[in-house]
Order: sequence, then structure tokens, then C-alpha cells
Amino acid sequence: MRLIDAAAWVCLLAPLSACAAITLGGERLTRRACGVISSATTVVAFAAAVAAFARMLAEPGGRRAHTTSSWTWLQAGKYHFGLTLLTDQLSVMMMLIVAGVGSLIVAYSVGYMDGEDEERRYFAYMSLFVFSMLLLVQSGNLLLLLAGWGMVGLSSYLLIGFYQQRPEAIAAAKKAFVMNAFGDATMALALFLLIEHTGRLDFASVFSHAPRHGTLATLIALGLLGGAVAKSAQIPLHTWLPDAMEGPTPVSALIHAATMVTAGVYLIVRTHPLFENARAVEDLAAGLGAATLLMAGLIALVQVDIKRVIAYSTMSQIGYMFVGAGIGAYPSAMFHLMTHAFFKALLFLSAGIVIHALGGEQDVRRMGGLGRALPFTRAVFAVGTLALVGVPPFAGFFSKDSIIAATLTRGAFGDCLFAVCLAGAFLTGLYSLRLYLLVFGGAQSEFAAEHLHRPAGRLEAAPSMIWTVAVLAVGATVAGFLQFAEVWHPLTTWLAPVAAPLSEATNRQEAVASVASVGLGLAGMSVAYALYGGAQPRRLPRPLALLVQGFYWDQLYAAIFYRPAELAAQGLARFVEAPLIAGSIGELSRGFRLGSGELGRVQNGLVRSYVLAIASGVAVLAVVFLSTR
Amino acid sequence: MSHWLTTILIVLPLGGALVVWLAPLPRAWVGSLATLVSLLEVGVWIIALEHFHFGSASLQLDQQHTWFRDLGVSYHVGEFAFSLWLVGLSAVCGAAASAYAWWVGRERPRAYFGLLLFLTSAVVGVFSAQDLLLFYAFFEAMLIPLYILIGVWGGAGRLGATLKFVVYTVAGSLLMLVSIIVYGLQQGTFDLMKTGTSSNDWLFLGFALAFAVKAPLWPFHGWLPDAYREAPAEVSGLLSGVISKVAAYGFLRIAIDKFPGPAHDFRVPILVLASIGLVYGSLLAFRAPDIRGVVAYSSLAQMGLITFGLFAANDLGFDGAVLQMVNHGLISMTLFLLAGMVERRTATGELSQLGGMARGRPALATVLMTVGVMALAVPLSSNFAGEFLILAGVFQQYWLWAVVGAAAIVLAAMYTLRLVSALLHRGVGPAVSEAALDLRRGELAIVVPLLALLLALSSWPAAISARVLPAGEGEAVALAAGPLDRSPYPTPPAACRGAGAASGLGRPGSRSSAGPAAAQVGGEPGGGLALRLGAGGRSAACHDGGGAAVAPPARPTPAALPGRGTGTLAAGRVPSGSHGLSYLPRSPGARGPEPALRPGANTGAAGVGA
Repeated sequence: MRLIDAAAWVCLLAPLSACAAITLGGERLTRRACGVISSATTVVAFAAAVAAFARMLAEPGGRRAHTTSSWTWLQAGKYHFGLTLLTDQLSVMMMLIVAGVGSLIVAYSVGYMDGEDEERRYFAYMSLFVFSMLLLVQSGNLLLLLAGWGMVGLSSYLLIGFYQQRPEAIAAAKKAFVMNAFGDATMALALFLLIEHTGRLDFASVFSHAPRHGTLATLIALGLLGGAVAKSAQIPLHTWLPDAMEGPTPVSALIHAATMVTAGVYLIVRTHPLFENARAVEDLAAGLGAATLLMAGLIALVQVDIKRVIAYSTMSQIGYMFVGAGIGAYPSAMFHLMTHAFFKALLFLSAGIVIHALGGEQDVRRMGGLGRALPFTRAVFAVGTLALVGVPPFAGFFSKDSIIAATLTRGAFGDCLFAVCLAGAFLTGLYSLRLYLLVFGGAQSEFAAEHLHRPAGRLEAAPSMIWTVAVLAVGATVAGFLQFAEVWHPLTTWLAPVAAPLSEATNRQEAVASVASVGLGLAGMSVAYALYGGAQPRRLPRPLALLVQGFYWDQLYAAIFYRPAELAAQGLARFVEAPLIAGSIGELSRGFRLGSGELGRVQNGLVRSYVLAIASGVAVLAVVFLSTR
Repeated sequence: MSHWLTTILIVLPLGGALVVWLAPLPRAWVGSLATLVSLLEVGVWIIALEHFHFGSASLQLDQQHTWFRDLGVSYHVGEFAFSLWLVGLSAVCGAAASAYAWWVGRERPRAYFGLLLFLTSAVVGVFSAQDLLLFYAFFEAMLIPLYILIGVWGGAGRLGATLKFVVYTVAGSLLMLVSIIVYGLQQGTFDLMKTGTSSNDWLFLGFALAFAVKAPLWPFHGWLPDAYREAPAEVSGLLSGVISKVAAYGFLRIAIDKFPGPAHDFRVPILVLASIGLVYGSLLAFRAPDIRGVVAYSSLAQMGLITFGLFAANDLGFDGAVLQMVNHGLISMTLFLLAGMVERRTATGELSQLGGMARGRPALATVLMTVGVMALAVPLSSNFAGEFLILAGVFQQYWLWAVVGAAAIVLAAMYTLRLVSALLHRGVGPAVSEAALDLRRGELAIVVPLLALLLALSSWPAAISARVLPAGEGEAVALAAGPLDRSPYPTPPAACRGAGAASGLGRPGSRSSAGPAAAQVGGEPGGGLALRLGAGGRSAACHDGGGAAVAPPARPTPAALPGRGTGTLAAGRVPSGSHGLSYLPRSPGARGPEPALRPGANTGAAGVGA
């Protein structure tokens, strides 16, 4: 077996083995051991990804795609779907992100979850998630991709609902799962179309055999987009993400910021030939992304839960990625996916330190002035904020601007996207600095004064929490230098054989986009500083109910899906099942009881007459059937 | 060729039942003896699995003894690949049921365990019988222990439940009896290996109705909620896991295979009923107030899905349906056993009384969550694999069916998660006391093997789906090409279809009634919905008749997997027998004159194919 294939299998299976070991080990493993096993296997996965990457670097550019199969997972008639892994430039990049950020966050969890009741379960779920996510990005055919797709949904469900006693957590978990099941279903339908028309699901032959244009191509792309939109929390299937913040904070960092929610972007980039066969759907993806980034940015302005603000900001940033993927700027979208993984994980994890220090409090109105007590956390949070807003030289600047510049290459539609992206940049500056100031700025709040506690010693939190955050902060600072406009673009070159961009922005467009977006981002920040920067918080008008309620999507879905389903179920039970189906026999037996009084006289106890009756009945029916031949 | 294995599979539990009933054993031994016998049954099945050649489409492990010569009735048993899987399902579920009943310690153990073993024997008999009267005898024999098990050991409402069950099933099976007699007399034999196809709608409906009641399909499920609620947990598990599969098997083996014309004509109504059942069952499962209600209605939905697969009339559908039968059998057995275990701890199955059981009960929580997510067909589970194949198959029939199926999968997520959460999560329910223990070792010893089977199957669902009927390139052509058929393949010429239908299931050169009935089928627009059971002659005949016309444009070749040579696949498909259920691979060498009608021709084709 070639080194790359071996590395791919090790990378995939190491986290799964941790999940199995922890589940089977049960109470024989100490809590600490579970954390160690889980982190160690994720590090092994990362090492394998690095090995595959290093090996691939040594290979010539055109021959970096490797497939490896174990056995035929599913087969029916002439259709074969194998357990096939595809290791190419794109999947190696995702493996590095998933396993790399994943191992940092799992290591962080060792400190964060310390003292929780059920660490074993937590780490088993985390390992299951890392396995599922790796399966998603490593799969060599669409069926396996769908399998990973569903499995990340499952582990997300398990982790959102980790605090099992809290009804909100369970409700949020179910909501996330069901909305994603909807996405899975549309994806499955797209796969059925592909099976019917190409007979296969492995990427290469699907791309070469799929219908090139027309309704079919549109439907296929639309089905895939449905899955992508659900998983990446874009309009209209986004409402589960804010609720998902019920899960433990490292979970939010790993699943609902760095990796799983960006799977939709990965899907579009991975299957871009199918999307390019249906340009209308690509435009739709970009449009949905733009709408989401604007809407999420607006909602984030008024949220008061620290994690929800970051969640809406995640939705907004994925909106940028969708814009990038939708207009064919695949490397830019992937670049933003990578930098976003760093700075958003950083924001969540440092928010986790804050929440930990305040004993679980997440309401920003009770925070304030925490900077003095938690200087390190303030510093790294500031790094994350600057990267998010896109202030040079932090990572977000490079990646976001390359998407915004790319919109300028797409004519009038692109110009609209450009305008929305810039508005989004302004909003990002506004809500990011608002959050930073509410948490760290101003005077220390009463609540914080009462509840703030830091562990004894020099560090603000457990060591594993501090160093992981520090690594991410470095990443959020320097990751952007990987690629800079026309100057150097190793990422675009690297991804070119898999997903070459449809068009590239000129230097002038890059410059325009950079200046405009940085300017607007800074403008947003200055507005935020004017509003929240004072020592005493200003009196602000009450926020719009529309924003607080998140544009009433939840209510809408309750009204058009949940309630009707419930009513239908009740109606069927009351008006169909009970009277017609369950009751029919009751009526029948009552009739029998009445009739049997009469018929009782026939029951004379003679077996021969019974036999006669049965035989004659069968004979009559037989004659009827024979005569109707 | 005579082979005793199938007979042993049928007789072993029966003998066990007799011993339990008649031998003067101490009461305490009865449960362990019954469990031992049912485990032995599993062992015998594994031996049968070893002896079985999946590459061959012919009847295997068969044995025949004439019973009534002039009527053409015989004791004829044997296995096809798909029936062998169902026999295995029955053996495994039977063992789990015995073990659980032993663990619980049912009252009047001799009668109870005797009936359980008798039931296993009858079900295995149904799956193995190759003679219609024998099939009917086993079919009825299966119902007797069920009536008693529900009626005597059931819950408070057992009498009503039994009454409904009896009325429904007797009505169904009498219709079937009439159909069997008429059909057998028409064909001149009751041997399923010799009878040809028929186009009599009434006979088809007689069979279909019996199976629709047994499955059950909507709206024939009136007996289902009560029976599943009132029966002892392991009997509910057998009912939903195994007995319902008898119906699906009946559709596959008799209704579809022997009545290709009517099966084609009634396909749309049946698919409509199945899709109603799918959505209806899912919605009712979503509001059912108790554990067993949820599982019962989800069973209704699942049977709708399996019916989808059977009437999709293509490889994907058939293979998926058989895979799904095994999946659903194992899952609902496990779920009902878990329901029983929970009920024993809390004395209620009402969801409103339960909750918070995950805390301090890690084994229960892990097992229930795992089975739950498999039941909702989370991707990578074998249930997902089955549903995917079925829906991919039925999608090729008409896209709307698959859309309904996909919607039902979303609903399945809703009701399953509701069930899991209501048991495990949130605050501790009023009926859950500290005394409600985690699963004990004995219970784990029953549930964990079932779970392990499901996990193993999840890692390799192709183990079953690729071994349902030997795969072929040709038969997709022979499958229904009716008005609803959206496949891009051109319709084979009518003469070709006629010839195919005529060769039917009959043993080549036997007294298959390739007469008027078959001609009728061939004459009908759209031909028949035919299984690969005996479609061998058909596809071969089509090749002779229509050569290039039959070949679809741009036929996709099977995905060539690195490291998996096509050689193994080809070898797996070599037909070995010259029985009626033979099948010819689509290879140029198979184009002899009327190959299927000459026993020798298949062997020749095999040589070329290999």
C-alpha cells in the first residue's frame, strides 16, 4: 500500500478507534484517560494528514490524486459503491484543517470539561465527530460523502444535546438533526438522479457522465445545494445554528464554527463541475450566501448571548464563502474556510475561557470590564476580532478580500454581491467590536465582580486551554500570508488541478475591494466604539424585535411545518385511525355479537356440519374465481 | 439433489417444541433448553450459509418428497439466497426472543417456550417451502402460536387485540387459500418450481390481500397497534421483525414472481398504499403516546418502504428491500426488547411518565441511542444502505415515490428522536425511580449481540444486498417497461417479452404452463413486472430477439474498483444449475438458440462467462 493511502486510512480510523475504545472501556478508563486517548488519536490523525501532505508535495502536480478502496460497501445488481477514499489536494487541505484544529480543540476540552460529570461520553462523541468529518472530506464517492454528511449531523446532534437534562439543549439538538435530515434528503434525491443517469457515484465518473445542462443538471445541483445550505446554516435552513450553542463551548468551536458548518462550502467546491453545469444554481448559492451574510450580520448586532453573537457571525462568514464558491472563486472560498477555522475557533475558545471564569454565564449584559482580570484572554479575543473584521495583517483580511474582489469579475450580479459583501464588512466591524467592548471594555460589572474566579496561579485557565488558544491566535495572525492577491498564490496553484477558479480578479479589483472593505470594517468599528466605548454604557434605543427574533424564521417554520405536521398527526389519529381502522373491527365484532345470537342456532355442536360449512364456503369462492378467469 | 439442511432447520425447533411440551423436564430447565435449541438453530443456519453458493440463482439445499402425486403436491423445501437471509433473521430473532423470555421468566414456561419454538419452525418453513400447499400449511401454523401467545400472555387488553388479529389474518389467509387452490389446479401442480405465471387479477389480489394484511400495508393495519402493544415484548418483536417479513417474502416469491402481469397492473395502487402507509405510519408514530406505539407505527412505515423496494421492479429495489427486511427485523426486535426492559423497570410505556433514564444508566443509554439512530437510518448504518437502495430503485420507477420516501425519512428522524429523548433525556419522569436499574448482564447478553450484528452489517451491507439474487447485466431490460417506466432503456419488443414470460419460472422443458396465461402476459402493454427469479430465459430470449435494440444507450459499466478485479464479480455470477430459477449473465456466449429452454445451454454460457 502506498504511503499516502496508508496515511489516509490511519487519519480516518484513528479517531474512530478512540470512540470505540472509550465506549467499550466504560468505567475502566479514568476520565482523564478518555481525554488523553481522544486527543492523542486526533493528533495521530493530524500527523497522518501531514505525512500525506508532505508526500504529495514531492509528487508532480498533475498526479496528486490517489484513491484507495477497501471493500464494496454497498452493491445491488450492477451498481457498486465502495469504501473508497480520495486523497487529493482538496481533501488533504481539509484533512489538515479538520485534524489540526480538531486536535487543538479536543486538547482544549481536556481542561474545559474537567469536572464535568460525563467526560467519557463527551470524548467518545468528539472522536466520533472527528471521524465523521474526516469521512466526509476523504470520501471518494458521493455515497460515502453522504454517509459522512449524515454522521457529522449525528455527532452534532449528540454533542448539542450533551447536557441531557436541559430541555432547551435537547430541543436544539433535535432541531439541528431534523433540519439537516432535510438537507440529507435533498442530497439523496440528487444522488438518485445521478445513479439513474450515470450509474455511478464516484467523483470522476459522475463529473464526466453527468448531464451537462438542462433541467436534470439543475435538479442535481439543487439537491446538492439543499444539503450544503442545511449543513452550513444558510438561508433558508439556518435556524438551527444559533440554538446549537446549547452545546459545550468547545463543541461550538469545532463543529459549529471551524469544521462541520463549512462542509457545505467543501461540497460545492468538491462537486463544482456539477454546479457549473447549472449556473443558475451557482448564482442561487451566491445569492443565498449574500442574503445570509447580511441577515446574520444584522441579527448579530442585537444578540446578548456571547455565543450566539459568534454563531451569527459564523453564519455571516460562511455566507462569504458561499458567495465565493457560488461565483466560482473556489480557492478564495477554501482560503476563507481555512482562516475562518482559525479565528472563529479562537473566538469561541476564548469566549469559553470567559464563560468558564464566570461560572457558566453567557449573557454579555452581565459582563464588562473583564479585560483587567483576564488580560491574556482579552488579547487573544482582540486578535480574533481583528481577524474577523479583516483588518490587515490579520488572516481574515486576505481571505475575505479575495472573495470580495472576485465578485467584481461577475458583471452586474457580481456588483450586487460586491455591495452586499461590503455592507457585511461594515456590520462585521460593528458587531465584533460591540461584543469585544461589552465583554472586556468599560468598568467591571457587578455580576463579574461577584462571580469572576480564576484558577490559582499565573494562568487564567487550565494550561491546556491557554496554550491551544495561543496556537490558534498565532494561526489567526499569520495564516493569511499564505496567499496574497497576485503577489503569491500557492493555495490557488495547489488547488488548481481540483478546483481552478473560474475567473481571477485583477490587481486593480483587488485593490478596490481591499480599500473598500477595510475602510468599511474600520468604519463599523468606530461606530461601535462611539456607541459602546465609553466608561459608562450609553442609553441605546430598544433593539428591533425583528432582529431580536431573528427575522421570525422560527415562528415561520413552526407555522408552516411543525404545526401542520402535528395537526395532521392528531387529525389522522382522531378521524382516521380511531374510527375507521381501529374501530372497524369493534363495529364488526358488535355486529357479530348481535348476529351471533341469531346464528347461534346453527351452532349445534356437530363437527360435520361445521366442516360442511367451511368446505362449501371455500367451494363457492373457488367457483367464483374459476368463473372469472 | 437431496439436502437435509433445510429440513433440519425446520424440524429442529419443532423437535425442541415437542421435547419442551412432552418431556418431563423441571420447569427451570425449560427456558434454557429452548434457548439452547434456538441457538443451535442459528448454528445450523450458519452451516447452511457455508454450504450455500451465492453465485448461483438456482434453488439450493432443496429436498423433495411427493405427497399427493395426482395433485402435484409435494414436500418440497429449499432456499434461495434471499430466503436464506430471512431464515437467518428468523433464527436470530427466535433465539433472542427465547433468551429474553427465559431471562424474564414467563409463566407457564412449557407452553410458552414450546409455542415460541413452534413459531420459529413455522416461519422457517414458510421461507423454505417450495410447494404452495406446504407454504400455506406453514403460513397457518405460524398463526396458531401467535394467537395463543398474545391471547394468554398478553397485557390487559389482550383479548381485544387477539380478536382483531384473528379476524384480520383469517380473512386474509382464507382468500389466499382460495387463490392457492385455484392457481394450483389451473397449473396442474402446486410446486412453485414448476408452476408458470398467471395473469388472473383475482388470484393475484387474493394473495396480495393476504400479504397486505400480514405486512401490514395501509389500510389493513387495524390489528397492528393493539397486537404490538399487548403482546409480550419478545412476541411483538417477532411479529414486527419476522412475521411481517413473511408478507414481504410472499410478495416477492409469489405475488410478483408468479403474477407478473397483475403485479405490473396493480403496481401503482400498491405503491400508493405503500406511500400512504409510509407517511401515515410516520405521522402516527410521531404522536403515539407510548414506546410500543412509536415502534409499531414505525413498523407500518417501514413495511411501506419495503413494499416500495419490492415494487420498484429493479435490482436496486429488490436488493434494497431484502437488505431492509433483515435490517428492520433486527432493529425492531431490539427496540421491542428494549421497550420490554424499560417497561419492566417502570411498569409503564407511557412516554409522559418516563424520561431522564440516561443518567446513571450508561448501558441502557448507549444501546438505546445506538439502535435509535440506526432505526432512523443515520447514514453509514445498514438501515441507511437499505433505504438508499430502495429509494434509488423506486426513484427510477417514478421520482415522486422517492420524494415521498425522502420526506418520510425526515419524519422518521422526528419520531425516533422524540422516542429516544422521551426515554433518556430531560428531567427524570415520575415512573422512573432510583430502583430502575441499568441493563443487567443477562439483558446485555441478549441485546448486545443483536447490536453487534447490526454494526457488522453496517460496515458491510453489501454482504446481503449483493447476495440477494445473482446480479446481472441483462435483466434490467426484462423488467417492467410500462407506461410509468422512466428508464431510458427502450422497451423490448413485445414478442420478446412474450417469450420471456413464457419461459417464466418453469423448469426448462417441464410442464410449465407457458400456454394461454403467459401469452396473455406477453400481449399486455408494458409486459410484466418480473423478478430475476427465472428471468433467465427472458433476458436470454430478449437478446436473441432484440439484440442491439435491447441494449440501452450508453450503458454504464459497473464501477471498477481498484484492487477488485472484475474477475471475482464475474465468477460470482456464474450460474451453476439448470433449474428453472437459473439466470444467464449477459455475455455474448449466451446467445445460443433459446438457451434457457435447454438445460445444457446454461452450463455452456457459464463456461464462457467465467
